[in-house]
Amino acid sequence: MPLRAARVGRVGVIGHPVAKTAVVAKAVTPGAAPVARTAVVAAAVTPGRGRRRRI
Amino acid sequence: MTSTSIDQRQEMTPLDELGPVDYLVVEFPAGKSNFTGEMASELVALVDSGTIRVIDVLILTKDEDGTVEPMELSDVGELGELQAIEAQLAELLAQEDVDHLAAAMEPGSTAGVLIWENLWAAPFASAARRSGGQLIANGRIPIQAIIASIEADEATASEGD
Repeated sequence: MPLRAARVGRVGVIGHPVAKTAVVAKAVTPGAAPVARTAVVAAAVTPGRGRRRRI
Repeated sequence: MTSTSIDQRQEMTPLDELGPVDYLVVEFPAGKSNFTGEMASELVALVDSGTIRVIDVLILTKDEDGTVEPMELSDVGELGELQAIEAQLAELLAQEDVDHLAAAMEPGSTAGVLIWENLWAAPFASAARRSGGQLIANGRIPIQAIIASIEADEATASEGD
């Protein structure tokens, strides 16, 4: 089905071809249950409970 | 109110009050798309709570040969809860955006494109601009990246045991 006429001939807002969001392969750990991994992330981003930053 | 802040307020336009605008593309395998179920309910809830304002929605289908067929939300048969959202769309996306967005799609898939304004962030963004600040970078950290970072950290720690 065609787009509405208002969309044709206008300058776009995206600006460039979009790349597929990359999935970090390392994060796919065999055997790690999704619930357990969610808990780990939650703990890491909770103020006062996260890791110490090493710079 | 100081004279400076009065001047700044007089210079404000509706754009100064606009919250950050984001987009996402959600892809479904061929024949598995579902835009009016649970996803629609959650989207409507975000709108109703004033968290976001939906600016535009398009549905794209990419054929096996790479041809992209765009579809307006209004062309979807039964919109259900999305009816109210469809009536308020601003049609921001242009024809050329369709090709740019579809570049991320797999051949044979269908995707929903959503453009929205983060109403929750608008007051903070306006305040930052009035304070003279300028957004120079932003982005999203994938949960997978956080998990990978944590696991790498744990691996390093266990090596030290």
